[in-house]
Amino acid sequence: MMETLHALSSNPFLQIALLGGLLASIASGVMGSFVVIKRIASLSGSIAHSILGGIGFFYWLKYNHGQTWADPIYGAFLAGIISAFIIGWVHLRYKQKEDAAIAAIWSTGMAIGVIFISLIKGYKADFTSFLFGNILLLSTKHLLFLGVLDLVILLTTFFLYRYFVAICFDEEQSTMQDLPVTFLYFTLLGLISLSIVLLLQVIGIILVIALLTIPPTIAALFTGRLIKIMISSILLAIIFNTLGILFAYSLDIPPGATVAIICALSYVIVLIGKRFNCLKKRTFFSIF
Amino acid sequence: MTNAIEMKNVSFSYDENLIIKKANVTISQGDFVGIIGPNGGGKTTFLKLIMGLITPNEGIIKIFNHSPKSERKNIGYVPQRINVDKEFPITVLELVLLGAISKIRPFGNIESQIKKRAFDLLEQMGILNLRKVSFNELSGGQLQRAFIARALLSDPDILILDEPTSSIDPKAEKMIFDLLLSFRGNKTILMVSHDLNTIITQVKSIISVQQTVQYRLPEEVCEHFAMGLYHVPLIKANKDHKKEKNT
Repeated sequence: MMETLHALSSNPFLQIALLGGLLASIASGVMGSFVVIKRIASLSGSIAHSILGGIGFFYWLKYNHGQTWADPIYGAFLAGIISAFIIGWVHLRYKQKEDAAIAAIWSTGMAIGVIFISLIKGYKADFTSFLFGNILLLSTKHLLFLGVLDLVILLTTFFLYRYFVAICFDEEQSTMQDLPVTFLYFTLLGLISLSIVLLLQVIGIILVIALLTIPPTIAALFTGRLIKIMISSILLAIIFNTLGILFAYSLDIPPGATVAIICALSYVIVLIGKRFNCLKKRTFFSIF
Repeated sequence: MTNAIEMKNVSFSYDENLIIKKANVTISQGDFVGIIGPNGGGKTTFLKLIMGLITPNEGIIKIFNHSPKSERKNIGYVPQRINVDKEFPITVLELVLLGAISKIRPFGNIESQIKKRAFDLLEQMGILNLRKVSFNELSGGQLQRAFIARALLSDPDILILDEPTSSIDPKAEKMIFDLLLSFRGNKTILMVSHDLNTIITQVKSIISVQQTVQYRLPEEVCEHFAMGLYHVPLIKANKDHKKEKNT
């Protein structure tokens, strides 16, 4: 443990990782709250997994065709936006068939990724960091990219907050009020995609839903106000990420999986606490 | 008197199923109309056609002589309680303000005029003291009154209520009815209800929706109900339609 504390002040990889975790927590707290209140976790899972298609394609461009600009994270960003648009279109046009479409996009995106990865010549070790996350490999360039995405998420949410709440609560009422529901829904899904791309580096495609949904789900057990859920989720995500990264570093285990386990354990502890009335509504988050 | 709602030969199908068949309806401004029909009979579809949320496959719908889409801001809607996510983190005041969301700035302070009207409506509904309470803490009657306040916030000329008095206590039911009756003549009200007794005694005219849309007299409603015709399964009606189509 002392070694880890020493590394905190001396190891630049660990410092960048913690900063990356902080940036990811902001995005997951804000967008995860919308995912939880609109009950679109499976939809977000589909976006997260389909992102593998973009990652695989950009890997293939980079390694097989020497396109050095084709960073896989940009591929993830592109695939996330495309998936969000397809899912959004299905939701607005064919609501009754949404489930099947979500499953199809989920598996098709992953299949595209697997095929492109199989075509890559040579060593593919860093590809697994996208599947399971490895924040300890984060570069300063990625950190800057994550910062920009965070800024986009925060500014858009700030300016469209009330409209997002309106469409999350009641799409029909929003349509009757002549709100641009299609535009708002696509924007919301686009921002969720951005937050998933942010979280990929920390926790990976397979575990991303844990960090996106568990902190807001815990927060929603204690408060009935969305803004409080968001702030609480950001704080919880920062705690989970920091603990996960530090444990992973000191025990030499994968950070993504460690963060996911901490999220799940915390949720179980909170549920047990609530069950036995150790944690009361409004007391835990009454600081806000 | 001006017609608030006019439907001419309106049909609507979803996939192969005919939900509304050649509906012809004229509702005058200020009328209080009760809508009855079995579950799955097309009542909500009928309302959605009026609100411009879906487009008919055939026929014409006019709201104050305009298309439903251009007039839907002039319609206040109280949805069925079962269709509302009761866990949604929103306060009663925030819920009511959604009734004029297009007139509210997306961020920053809410326009004082809109806020004042929301407060007035909450007071009229007797739930002003609950404005800061999370809406999932409200009782059935309080929730319904909050939704009515939301529907009235933009002062619409048409008010549509989908089973507003189901599963609420008699006191809350009376309060809602007194309120609706106070709008008589000023607002056109369409109310779906399974409470036939209330419908018969309170509303001016009755429309039954069961694939076909028909005006009913109170005595007819009693007769149909007594004969069990109110519950004719929709599957049979659809089969009849397909048979008719094939021949």
